[in-house]
Amino acid sequence: MVISPIDDVGLVPFGKGFERGLDVRSLCTRGVQMETLAGLGLPVATGLTIPVPNVPGLVSADRAEAAVNLLETIAGRTVGSTTADGGILLLRLSASAPLDAAGLPPDLVAIGLANGRIPEGLRPRMAADLAVAWWKTASFIAEFALEVPGDEISALGLDFDDPAHRIEPLIALCNEKGKNKFPLEVNQQLADAAAAMLARWTSPRAARARRTQQLPADLPLGLHLETVVVTDHDEAGHGHAISRDLSTGQFAPTGGFRHGVRVSGERPSIGHPLSKLPGGVAMLTGVLAELEGRLKTVVLVDFEYGPEGLVLAGLEELNRTSARVATSLAVDLATRGITDERSAVEAIRPAHVLELMHPRPRLTGHEVVLVTGLAASPGAAVGRIALTSEEACEMAEAGDSVILVAAETTPGDLPGMMAAAGILTVTGGSASHAAVVARGMGRPAICGAGGMRIDRAAGTVTAGEHVLQRGDVISVDGDAGAVYVGAVPIERPEPSFALSTVLNWADDVRRLGIRANADTGVDAGVAMDNGAEGIGLCRTEHMFLGDRLPFIRRVILSSSPEEEELALAALAEAQREDFRDLLLAVGDRPVTVRLLDAPMHEFLPTEHEEVDENWAKMAESLHEENPMLGVRGVRLALIHEGLYPAQVEGLFNAWIDVNTQHGIAPTLEVMIPLVSIPDELLMSLRLIRRVNQEVASRTGIVVPFSIGTMVETPRAALMADQLAQWAEFISFGTNDLTQLTYGFSRDDVERRMLGTYLERGLLTVSPFSELDEWGVAGLMEIAAAKARSARPDIKLGICGEHGGDPASIALCEKLGLNYVSCSPSRVPVARLAAAHAVLDSE
Amino acid sequence: MSDVVINDAERTALVSIVVRGMARGEASAEQQSLAEAGLLLIKGPMMMPTPAGTAFVGEILCLPADAPERERIMATFHRFLPVNRALRDLCTAWQVRPDGSVNDHSDPGYDAEIRDRLDDIDDSIAPLLKRFAEDVPSLSGYRARLTEALEKLDEGDNAWLASPLIDSYHTVWMHLHQELLLTIGMSRQEDEALEEQLVSGNHG
Repeated sequence: MVISPIDDVGLVPFGKGFERGLDVRSLCTRGVQMETLAGLGLPVATGLTIPVPNVPGLVSADRAEAAVNLLETIAGRTVGSTTADGGILLLRLSASAPLDAAGLPPDLVAIGLANGRIPEGLRPRMAADLAVAWWKTASFIAEFALEVPGDEISALGLDFDDPAHRIEPLIALCNEKGKNKFPLEVNQQLADAAAAMLARWTSPRAARARRTQQLPADLPLGLHLETVVVTDHDEAGHGHAISRDLSTGQFAPTGGFRHGVRVSGERPSIGHPLSKLPGGVAMLTGVLAELEGRLKTVVLVDFEYGPEGLVLAGLEELNRTSARVATSLAVDLATRGITDERSAVEAIRPAHVLELMHPRPRLTGHEVVLVTGLAASPGAAVGRIALTSEEACEMAEAGDSVILVAAETTPGDLPGMMAAAGILTVTGGSASHAAVVARGMGRPAICGAGGMRIDRAAGTVTAGEHVLQRGDVISVDGDAGAVYVGAVPIERPEPSFALSTVLNWADDVRRLGIRANADTGVDAGVAMDNGAEGIGLCRTEHMFLGDRLPFIRRVILSSSPEEEELALAALAEAQREDFRDLLLAVGDRPVTVRLLDAPMHEFLPTEHEEVDENWAKMAESLHEENPMLGVRGVRLALIHEGLYPAQVEGLFNAWIDVNTQHGIAPTLEVMIPLVSIPDELLMSLRLIRRVNQEVASRTGIVVPFSIGTMVETPRAALMADQLAQWAEFISFGTNDLTQLTYGFSRDDVERRMLGTYLERGLLTVSPFSELDEWGVAGLMEIAAAKARSARPDIKLGICGEHGGDPASIALCEKLGLNYVSCSPSRVPVARLAAAHAVLDSE
Repeated sequence: MSDVVINDAERTALVSIVVRGMARGEASAEQQSLAEAGLLLIKGPMMMPTPAGTAFVGEILCLPADAPERERIMATFHRFLPVNRALRDLCTAWQVRPDGSVNDHSDPGYDAEIRDRLDDIDDSIAPLLKRFAEDVPSLSGYRARLTEALEKLDEGDNAWLASPLIDSYHTVWMHLHQELLLTIGMSRQEDEALEEQLVSGNHG
């Protein structure tokens, strides 16, 4: 039976696959992409897919002939024939698989040259392009279908500069050493091209590619055959367009195009910007917007253009993009109503937030730009100018931050590059050896800053009107390619509009409250700017160090009650100032103040310090073997009963100050650390209440506060119901709780043991970075249940490092905690992770 | 030509260190005597060539203008430069994704594509190295060093493609490039200009 070419089920014209009930399993990814493009109702490349089951048959000239016939029928032209405008119609064969796969055989873009030779009489540039394309196609067929040794083919490439001159010798080589003669007519060329692709797909190279991508070893191929009109330059060409500007994330078609013949399947890097595209970009803009909406991802389309207009030739989904692009896309899709706000939140990962909040130069607009160049290696650095590698090493050795400024770099500059904090070169591109090396070392770099002149002898760098000397300070922004005179501060940026939008949507989704750990007004301000709802942990230890150290020493080491009382009064006054700044930044939000938790030894004179002999003796007598488990936290406060009262007196007075002077009323939460015996909490509470009453009787103002406890010891966790008799809130100190649950001393374990344990699989992750689900969180679960049994409305939170870790936040959601508290800079990550925890549990 | 006289082992040691830019570790006897001759600077565990050492290597490696092999080497060097560009572009893609974000190697498809392209580059450099080594036998060692880097890369350590801190594929390549430049006596600037001309003039 003779099958009409158009009904041949083994050949599926682009745009006919879905209606024949086929999907990616047989059409493969490129087939589906062409179906999607055809579905837009716009011109697409003329082509067909040979579905997976029919691919092996294509290596026979009969089946190849059927494919060529069908394509000629669709195109209305004959392969190899000259078109009206002087072009030639050829075939392009490409491969794809049912799954996204890298390492596919390359596209063969010039099948169908009669007698295997470039026709005479073509315009020189067109002939040159065609020769390159044909050499790539023919040499691939020779190596993989005809099994001609690869090094003999490479030798031809070296012996003949001009690809056009390699063809005859290649055909001769094939005829002499190939398993078959070189195919001279189109059907056999196609059959051999298909055979070459299949052979290449079974090569060790392709097997390795499948293995590293964890793709099935027997992943099949589909083939795609298209017509290519090889025509004269300025009338035709090819290019690609991406839906977004990848540097800003905004929807704006970007890409390029090139006049002339496509010489390989790779996208050319050299070309014209889309803005110069003949006929404009309106159609592409519409196509890209439509495709982004349909596929919900950043898209790339390949296109070809000619006298008859634009034809869509390929589609790629760019699913992995930078944080900037991902957030802009997610917000745009939700705003257009294509997705919703929850999907946008889901699409952004914590790593995106970290990437967007990475420290960058904080520009005010008043910076003086020294010079600009190519952003060659990301990051920013501030340092002094060094003009040679030796100088850079010497200056770095002296403790200076150095920027190595050089005309160009050679391997000899390696020591200087290692010593420098940043690198600036006059020549070289963003793919120069210097750029590759800088990126490999993680050093910010700007290359190709051609507007700069270096005079090593004079020790100067000149750019425009600026003449800088060796040793002068400059700042380099390796992301923007800009160099500034002087030091530009490097800080975390404000969240972008798109990120702020996503985080606000995350706030609507999340259940967990997000607070921050902050000890100063400045830190609290950053936390609030980042969206914290309050302070979950204000540590007071640092308030006792520096110029306050003598006071606390007098409390601990004093021999008379009077001396101790004086010292405590001074401490209370000093604390009042500290807390005032903090409370001002907190405003009407909650703030949890943890009373002194430091181990005693931090306040004692060291043996190298010159102090009063009595103090030295006293300090010696107070020496502890294991200070972290010694007289620390509430224990120190119950031995020196004036300590906590002095602290809360300072706190209450500060509250009155900000309340009366600024009209704000922070919600005070006073937290007692390292409790393991419920009565420790009760006794502390009594001391604090007494001070509260004293302040009230002195000022006439009753400062509202609640009292709570840290749960850091397993005993406290197991007795949480008893603690909850007095505690209105509990905050899990998960760092100490992890240490005491495992019996790990964190520093020792991380230094000596963790690596081995991770390597041997005894631990999969450090329990100090990610909350231990079974042991530590198990104790927390018991504690939470017990605490709620005694006080159903008790507030539960965590305030360790885990509070900023997404996996730990998910556990806190599972445990039903009320809030997590993390460092100010992690607040955006925590807001997002808390929303993910809700979405993941639904 | 400088009047410093060094033996073959010292010569090899000096060329190696000039091509590499530096070396670390305990100084060998050769390196010690090079330091005494003022050709090498030993600073703690680090060794760097002195300007005199770099100039000396330039003199001993550079082929005379009338050397019969010079033309062949230049012809092969012309073929090397476009491949050199391709390798640097590939290393760049390995380090930075097209959108400018750092490649964190969490996308196996992206990495596999680059690794696959590296085979094309390795296939292209193989015959060139063979030709170079016919005229300058000391260049023959690069083939094994590149292969070693590839093998380590395929064992799963991503650093072996482009890390400057080890003898990664790019590091070895950069040494090769440096040694070629010294051999033909070409400056970096001339080299860059020639490469640009060759690449932009030939998109194949």
